[in-house]
Amino acid sequence: MSLIKLTGGRVIDPANGVNDQVRDIYVRDGRIVAGPNEHEKITAEYNIAGRIVMSGAIDMHSHIGGGKVNIAREMLPEDHRGDPLERTELTRSSCGHAAPGTLAAGYRYAEMGYTAAFEPAILPINARQAHMEMGDTPILDTGGYAMLGSDDFFLRMMAAKEDQKAINDYVAWTLNATQTVGIKIVNPGGISAFKFNQRKLDLDERNAYYGITPRDIVKVLSRAVHDLGVPKPLHVHASNLGVPGNVDTTLGTMDAAEGLPIHLTHIQFHSYGTEGDRKFSSAAARIAEAINQKKNVTADVGQILFGQTVTASGDNMVQYRNADHGSPKKSVIMDIECDAGCGVVPFKYKDQNFVNALQWAIGLEIFLMVDDPWRVFLTTDHPNGAPFTTYPHLIKLLMDRSFRNAMLDTINPDARAMSNLAGLDREYSLYEIAIMTRAAPAKLIGLADRGHLAPGAAADIVVYKEDADRERMFEKPELVFKDGELVVRDGRIVKVVRGNTHAVKPEFDRSIEKKIEPYFQRYHSVRMNNFKISDDELCECGGGSKLIAHACKKRG
Amino acid sequence: MTNEATSTVVTEVACPLCGHACDDLSVDTAGNGLAVVANGCDRARDGFARLGGVPTNASARIDGKPASLEEACAEAARILAGAQQPVFGGMALDLNGARGAMELVDLAGGIVEHINNEFGWRASRAVQDGGGINTTLAEVKNRADLIVLFGTDAVSRQPRFFERAVWVEASMFDFDPSSRRIVYLGAGLNTAPGVSPDGRQPDVFEFDKTRMPEALSVLNALLAKQPVAGEAPLGIPLARWQELADALLAAKYSVLVWTASAFDTPQVDMNVGAIAAIARKLNVTTRCNALPLAGNDGDSTMGAVHLWQTGFPMRTSYASGTPKFDPLQNGMSRLLGNGETDALVWMSSLNDTVAPPSTGLPTVVIAPPTQKLDAEPRVFIPVATPGMHLTGHFVRTDKVVSLPLRALKKSSLPAAEQVTAAIAAKMKEVGA
Repeated sequence: MSLIKLTGGRVIDPANGVNDQVRDIYVRDGRIVAGPNEHEKITAEYNIAGRIVMSGAIDMHSHIGGGKVNIAREMLPEDHRGDPLERTELTRSSCGHAAPGTLAAGYRYAEMGYTAAFEPAILPINARQAHMEMGDTPILDTGGYAMLGSDDFFLRMMAAKEDQKAINDYVAWTLNATQTVGIKIVNPGGISAFKFNQRKLDLDERNAYYGITPRDIVKVLSRAVHDLGVPKPLHVHASNLGVPGNVDTTLGTMDAAEGLPIHLTHIQFHSYGTEGDRKFSSAAARIAEAINQKKNVTADVGQILFGQTVTASGDNMVQYRNADHGSPKKSVIMDIECDAGCGVVPFKYKDQNFVNALQWAIGLEIFLMVDDPWRVFLTTDHPNGAPFTTYPHLIKLLMDRSFRNAMLDTINPDARAMSNLAGLDREYSLYEIAIMTRAAPAKLIGLADRGHLAPGAAADIVVYKEDADRERMFEKPELVFKDGELVVRDGRIVKVVRGNTHAVKPEFDRSIEKKIEPYFQRYHSVRMNNFKISDDELCECGGGSKLIAHACKKRG
Repeated sequence: MTNEATSTVVTEVACPLCGHACDDLSVDTAGNGLAVVANGCDRARDGFARLGGVPTNASARIDGKPASLEEACAEAARILAGAQQPVFGGMALDLNGARGAMELVDLAGGIVEHINNEFGWRASRAVQDGGGINTTLAEVKNRADLIVLFGTDAVSRQPRFFERAVWVEASMFDFDPSSRRIVYLGAGLNTAPGVSPDGRQPDVFEFDKTRMPEALSVLNALLAKQPVAGEAPLGIPLARWQELADALLAAKYSVLVWTASAFDTPQVDMNVGAIAAIARKLNVTTRCNALPLAGNDGDSTMGAVHLWQTGFPMRTSYASGTPKFDPLQNGMSRLLGNGETDALVWMSSLNDTVAPPSTGLPTVVIAPPTQKLDAEPRVFIPVATPGMHLTGHFVRTDKVVSLPLRALKKSSLPAAEQVTAAIAAKMKEVGA
């Protein structure tokens, strides 16, 4: 038994309505507790008077594991050579930047005060490898969202007009079989359409073979996720990513959920108009207004930041189209297992490029114009908009108007003229940053014991030294505890621990396997029983990570 | 997973003996070895029988003399602690074997070179130079209407390719898989599996495989509507080449199959890049994807783990404490030839048929008791095999699908990762 006391810190814990109050925090055996028992001795005390205390940050959308990330790693040795990570007594060697090794990713997330990250695009057939990679990502809790919507089994069900209950059973089966925590759609039905040589698929356009539209898919899957009681709303990478004028598709996609919870991911890439000489403009105002009005909608931004990165997406239709814009010019595009696809294109965002500069401004406009920090999430869609290591810089852009405006003055002047960013006075508070990086993602994903600091919570705790330079403050916390263990001191790893794997276990009618098993045998390249990942196997894939299974309360 | 409580036959077993990783095998565990009784191939039957046995007298050895596991690990640790840049060869491992190896390689400041990496790194370089447009087995099974094999017959390395991915009973998409057209480019191939179930012969473009770059140039030129010199490139009438180019343009979902090992080694990256160029041209109007066949001897597994943990492919030196990726400098045969390595660790739990190279260096072999050896190494540590004695995980040819491997029979031998962990612990103990 150990009892740790963090004494005198300024606690910011939005989940419990605590805003900058001086409180002591006690940790016993990895959990936050109210205080010592009678006669209980404090085994370690940290005097953190004047320091800011938050729960561990949670990245709800970060491409940290799975086949496409590994392709990105393979493609970019020239990028990785510039950012080697030296072996130490405690940590292994690896490398960082655009598509870091899993070891570097875990260390660096932890060094920035992140204690959990969720891989948002797990192809069901690739789930085992995604868990292996996340298992080799030290310190962090991990989990992922399974991709559906372009898989042939689902589309066949849709085409056969199977009822919602059958769809729900398949969705629940997929979540159980892949050990994931949510469902993602990428370019709904578009990955399948690309296999039939369709090159675009609008919201109400039909898949050439199945006759199903993206709207049908969003509707039925948002319903399934809701009915099954999966906490995490359907995670949607909408149609027409990156296309000028896609704002209408994005707004239509929100409506396709028909009032049920829906999360629009990397919405910056889906907030484009067609105004101006170059027929490319910001539609952030319309998007923000829609989010403000529609309480069923949440979004993460997918902010771009200038520099070299790599885009890795399930959306092979769009990535194929964008391959010529790649820098350096190379790309890998894949069709995958009648399940989904992927596309990897290195990209360099340039501040003097009109489109890139406007993308940068659009992301910030969305952050600043969405009123409710519980419904907008801080992401760069790592690594698609920028590597996650840029988060402290992004936080400074949100918290410091003069810094933001100084940056705005340096970008492409035509883009600056097209943006209303200079007129947005808002500065995020520490409390709001704590909401969007801790409390809100935990609530969204359904992690009851993460993202807050009340007794009973897991002791994922970060202690910052207050600094007017918010980038400096957030890039190097003084102390980071993971499940009660001190893992980072002064921004350096002092202990390497293994995080947990989060998954949901919605109930379903097991007779669905009577349909799935013969389908696998007839059309797939693996057997259904070798596709499914059991709890024991998950822990092996995860290198011994503990499974935290979250129950679901059926709503259907 | 047995058929009945009393049966000794385990079904739906995944096979780690080639990159295809068929997962429909039935294996009888009753005898001394493991007997594949349904859905195997010769490679699987031989491999399960040989590697799946449980030797009663396998012991670790130091200089050929029996030693305890602990003594052997201590001696291996002593060798590695004294080495500046050990090279880790073989590396036919599953997930956990590869994970354990990486931990030791980093600690020892070594370099990893899988037995297939002499051509594997060149295929990787093609990805780094230009990338590609690829597909996977289930897509081929359901969608491919034209399959062109470049210098490979597929079956020499992955025997059940046609059975499982081509001549299948049904496709999801309203066409008869037996109507597929098969084309082979290159001489000396086993083209019999390319004959359709109704007896239709495949097209074979016979030419010396070392001339593959010319063949690829002809196809690329025709697809780009550029002139091609001569009436019969590589001795084959130009009209046949043109017909193939037209067929590729007309196909709805053509698949370009290649395997790096089948190419003349120095040509691998050039050929792979030229195949990618064909796919890029065709995708302007239709769908066409390459299908690289890899994964044999766990090369996809070892390569993937190396890549995701450190961010670099194999042929990365950890000698300086930070990863230094240099595929030209860090090849095993070059390092051995130039005396730039001072110890050899040979790890192989999935392939016992390739002997470690003979060198004058202190050598540690971590392999099945049946491992082929040309010379007795300083240290030999016998290990069990994943998928036979141990549970495990294996990344398939396409680097997308990985299969769970089963423990079918108990062995008293340790897993490779237990051995590397023990060696690493010893190294840390002596303060290496």
